[in-house]
Amino acid sequence: MFKYNLKIAFRNFKKYKSSFVINIIGLSAGIACVLFISLWVHDEMRVDKFHEKEKQLYQVLSNMTLNDETKTFVGSPFLLADDITKEFPEVEAATAINADFATPEGVFTHGDNNQTAKGLFALPNFFEVFSFDVLVGDQNQVLQNKYNLVISEELAKRLFKTKENAIGKTLNWNYKWTDGNGEETLVVSGVFKTPPAHSTMKFDYVVHSELLIDSDRWAGDWSGHYAKSYLVLKEDTNISNFNQKIANYLNTKRDGKFKFTSFVQKFSDRYLNLPYENGVQVGGRIVYVRLFISIALITLLIACINFINLTTAQASRKMKEVGVKKTLGASRRSLVYQYMSEALILVILSTGVALLLVFLFLPKFNAITDKNILLNFGSNQLFIITLIIIVTGFLAGSYPAFRLSSFKPVTTLKGETPKTVWEFFLRKGLVVFQFTISIVFIISILVVNKQVKYMQTKNLGYNKENVIQFEIGSNIENPETLLNELKNITTVQSVGFTNGEFLEGTDNNGGWIWPGKDSEDYRSFQAPRMGYGAIETLGMNIIAGRSFSKEFNDNYNKIILNESALKLMSLENPIGQMLKKGEAQQEIIGIVEDFQYGSLHKKIEPLVIRFRSYGNNILVKIAPGTERETLSKMESIYTKFNPGYPFDYSFMDSNYNKLYAAEIKVANLSDFFAILAIIISSLGLFGLATFTAERRAKEIGIRKILGSSVLGIVKMLSSEFAKMVGFAALIAFPIGYWLCSKWLDNFGYAIELKWWFFGLAGCITMLVAMITVGLQCYRAATANPIHAIKTE
Amino acid sequence: MIQITDLEKFYKTEEVQTIALNKLSFEVKNGEFVAIMGPSGCGKSTLLNIIGLLDDPDGGSFQFNGEEVSNYNERKRSELRKHNVGFVFQSFNLIDELTVFENVELPLIYTGVKPAERKKRVEEVLEKMQIMHRRNHFPQQLSGGQQQRVAVARAVVNNPKLILADEPTGNLDSTNGNEVMDLLIDLNEAGTTIIMVTHSEHDAKYSHRIIRMLDGQKVTENILV
Repeated sequence: MFKYNLKIAFRNFKKYKSSFVINIIGLSAGIACVLFISLWVHDEMRVDKFHEKEKQLYQVLSNMTLNDETKTFVGSPFLLADDITKEFPEVEAATAINADFATPEGVFTHGDNNQTAKGLFALPNFFEVFSFDVLVGDQNQVLQNKYNLVISEELAKRLFKTKENAIGKTLNWNYKWTDGNGEETLVVSGVFKTPPAHSTMKFDYVVHSELLIDSDRWAGDWSGHYAKSYLVLKEDTNISNFNQKIANYLNTKRDGKFKFTSFVQKFSDRYLNLPYENGVQVGGRIVYVRLFISIALITLLIACINFINLTTAQASRKMKEVGVKKTLGASRRSLVYQYMSEALILVILSTGVALLLVFLFLPKFNAITDKNILLNFGSNQLFIITLIIIVTGFLAGSYPAFRLSSFKPVTTLKGETPKTVWEFFLRKGLVVFQFTISIVFIISILVVNKQVKYMQTKNLGYNKENVIQFEIGSNIENPETLLNELKNITTVQSVGFTNGEFLEGTDNNGGWIWPGKDSEDYRSFQAPRMGYGAIETLGMNIIAGRSFSKEFNDNYNKIILNESALKLMSLENPIGQMLKKGEAQQEIIGIVEDFQYGSLHKKIEPLVIRFRSYGNNILVKIAPGTERETLSKMESIYTKFNPGYPFDYSFMDSNYNKLYAAEIKVANLSDFFAILAIIISSLGLFGLATFTAERRAKEIGIRKILGSSVLGIVKMLSSEFAKMVGFAALIAFPIGYWLCSKWLDNFGYAIELKWWFFGLAGCITMLVAMITVGLQCYRAATANPIHAIKTE
Repeated sequence: MIQITDLEKFYKTEEVQTIALNKLSFEVKNGEFVAIMGPSGCGKSTLLNIIGLLDDPDGGSFQFNGEEVSNYNERKRSELRKHNVGFVFQSFNLIDELTVFENVELPLIYTGVKPAERKKRVEEVLEKMQIMHRRNHFPQQLSGGQQQRVAVARAVVNNPKLILADEPTGNLDSTNGNEVMDLLIDLNEAGTTIIMVTHSEHDAKYSHRIIRMLDGQKVTENILV
C-alpha cells in the first residue's frame, strides 16, 4: 500500500508541476524559517545549562525599597557565602565572585611578555560549584592559596605558549583598583578550559577574593556589596519557603538605614529572565524567544495554508480517484493515510530544500544574531528536524486528507465537485489570514526600523560624534600628563574623563536632601561622575553657572544639576546653594540642559553630576575626518605611557548603537521574516489565481465571445483577490497598531504611530498581490476562447 | 441473490423533492444476467448505485444474499462491496496516475491479497482480456475499447459474485462494444451474476431478462431466455 501511495504521490507531483513547485517553495521557506528560529531558540535555552549542579544552582538577589520604588540588586557581601552555608540546612554549598564594579583589572607580566585579560575574584570553592573544566591542577585545591592564579588555556598559551608547563610559574600582576595601583606576585595553580560560548560568565583568569578584600576593607564587610553570591541548594528545597527564610538575612548581619529583602533566582534562568522592575521579574531575552517562536509558527502556518488551499481548491482533480478507490473497497482510513503520506512526502522533500537553505544562509544568520550556530545534525538537531516534519505534515496534510476522503463515490463518479459553503469561506478566510499576517509584519518592520533610526539620530542633549573612548592604562603614574599630551594634538578638540559607564547610565546615588526638603526624606538620583573637560567634550549645554574647571580647583563637594533636577527641587537662584548628602554639603555650581543619561528606554530623569578628579574612562573629541592621523598620534602617546600594552579604543557613537543591539537585531530579523511571509503568501495567491483562471476558463471564453474586453476580464478575476487583501488590511491595522504601541511602550522616547505606516503596508501588500494575480488573470484573459470551450 | 422490496429514494433540494425510486420491487437470482432500461432520469443509475452499496435507499428493503443491507454503515458496506461486487462504468473510471497493471491490481490490494498472488491473478485476467501487452501503459495511452477491457479486468479480478455495469458500451464504437458484451457473456456463463443498465436495445438482448423503468417504477419485465 505504501509503495502505491508513494507511486501515486510522485506521479501527481510530476503531473501537477506548478502546484508541486509552489508547495515546495512555500513549505521549504516556512520550514527553513522554523529551522533557523529553532536553532536560535535552542542555543538561547542552553545558556548556562552545562553546569553539573545547574538544577540546584541559584543566585542571591536583594530588593531595596526607596521612595516607593523597589530596586533589585545582584550585589551581596563576600561574607554571605560562608555564613549562609552554615546557618541554612538547605544550602549545600555557596560561592561568590566579585560584583561587576569590582572586576579585577591589570596586566600580567612574564619576562617581557605583558598580557591583559578579563578576570574574576572568587572564593576558593568556585570551581567546585561551577563546572568550568580544570584541565591542569586539582579543582578543589587551585584557589587554596591567596596568591594562586588559575588561568584559561588561551591565556596560558598567550603567556607561556603552552598550557602544560604553566603550573608553578610565577607572574607579576600589576593591578589597578579604585584608589590606585598595586603589584602582586602570583603563582599559576591551575589551567581551565576557556568558558564555552553558552556561558554567561566569560573570564580568562580567576584570583583569590582575599586579594580584593585586602585592598579594600569594605569588600570584607557586611555593608560592602562587593560580591555576587551563588548557592547550591539541596534538591528537595522549596524555593518560596527558602526565600521567606532568607528575606531578612542581610538585615540581621548589619546595621543601616536601608533594608534589604533577599531572595534567590535560578542561575540558569537569569540569562533569559534578567530584568527586575519594582521587585518583580519582567521581560528579558525570553520576550524575544517567545516573539520569534510565534513568528516561526505563524510563518509555518502561512506555508501550510498554501498547501491546504491549493490541495482543496484542486480537489476536483482527485475526485475520480477517490470515487473509484472507494467503489473498489478502499476504506476512508486508507485514503486518509494515502493523502497524509502524500503531504508528508512533500514535507520531507521541502525539509531537504529547507536544510540546504539553512546551510547556505547560516553564516548570514549567525552574523545577524551574533551567534555561532552550526548545522551538525546532532541528536538535538535531528529531534528538531523530525518534530518539524511531523508537525508540518500533520498541519498541512490533515485537513485535505480528511476532506478528500470524505467525498461520496456516487457524487464524485458523476463528475460533480462536492462543495460546501463553509469551505468556500474557509479558503477565502485562510487567504485573508495570510495577508493579515503579512500586513502586520510589514507595519511592524516599518515601525521597528523607524524607531531604531529615531534612537540613532535623536538629539540626546550631548554630542557623541567623533568622540573616542578608551580606558586609561593601569600603570600610569601621572594621568594628567597623558591627558595634556593628548590635548596638544592639533586635531584633538577637547579631552575629558568620566567614571563608570556613561552610555549605560548606571550611576545612582542616594541620600540627598535639598533646601526646603524634609531632612528625613532622602532621595536617590541618577548621578554620573565626571571630571574636568567631560561636559565640554560631550558638547553639553551649561545654562546657568559654570562647568567643572581647574581654575576653580573643584573638589568632591561640587555638583551640577540638570534642568529636571532643578525643576524637581524648585530652587530659585540655585547656583551656590547647598545639597546635603549625609553630613557633607555639596555645592551647586551649574545647571546643565537636560540630556539623555543611559539609553532611550528610559525618560530623562532629575540628575546630579558629581565631580571626580580622576576617572578611568577617557573621552577625546577629535576634528571630523581626521580619525586616521589622530588615532595614530593618540596611540603613540598611549604606548609611551603604557609600553607594551595595546591601545584599545572605541568610538562613542558605535558604543551608543550597541545599547540598542537587541532592537537592531529585531529590526534585521523582522525584515527577513516579513519578506519571507509576504513571499510565501503571494506564492499561495499565485497558486489560487492560476487555479481560479483554470476553473473559470469556460466562463472567460464565453464572456470573451459575448464581447468582454481583456481588461474587463482581468478586473473581474482580480477584484475577488483585491477584496480579500482589502479585508485583510482592515483586520491587520488594529492588530498592528496594538502590537506596535505595546512594543513602543518599552521606550522612554518613541516615534508616533503615523497613519501612513498602515497605508504603506496595505499598499505594498496590495501591489504585490495584484502583480501576482494580475499576471495569471492576464494570461487567462488573453487565451483563445475557442480552445477553452472545446476543452469543456 | 438480490431481493428488493418497495425501494424508495428521494433527492431533495431547497425547493423541490424529486422521487428517483418509487416503491420499486424486483428480484435477481444467482447467475442471472439482467438488463435495466428506461429513459434518462428514470432512476436506473440510482438503482445501480444502491445495489452496488454506493448509496443508501430512503425506504423499503434491500437484501443481499438473504441479508438486509439497507441499514449497513459505510464500513460494512465497503467490506461487502469489495468482496462481492465488481463495477464497469460507461466512462471506464480508470485512475490516470496508475498503469494498466496497477489499476487492475488495486481491488486485490484492498482485499489484502499477497503481492505474489496479486501478480499471478492480475496477469491471468489481463491475458484473458487480451490486454497483457499493454500492462505498463497508462489509461490515456489506450483506446476506449482497451480502457473498457481494463475496467472489466479490474471488475472481475477479485472474482465477484455480482458485476454491475452502467452503460458499459456507451462510450465505445460498435465493434469494441460487441467485444465488451462478449466478455460480459463469458463472465455470466462462468457463473457471475450481472446487472447492466443500458440505453441500447442491442446490448439488452444479450441479457436473460429486461426490466423497463419509468419515473422510478418498474413498468414491464421481459424474459428473453
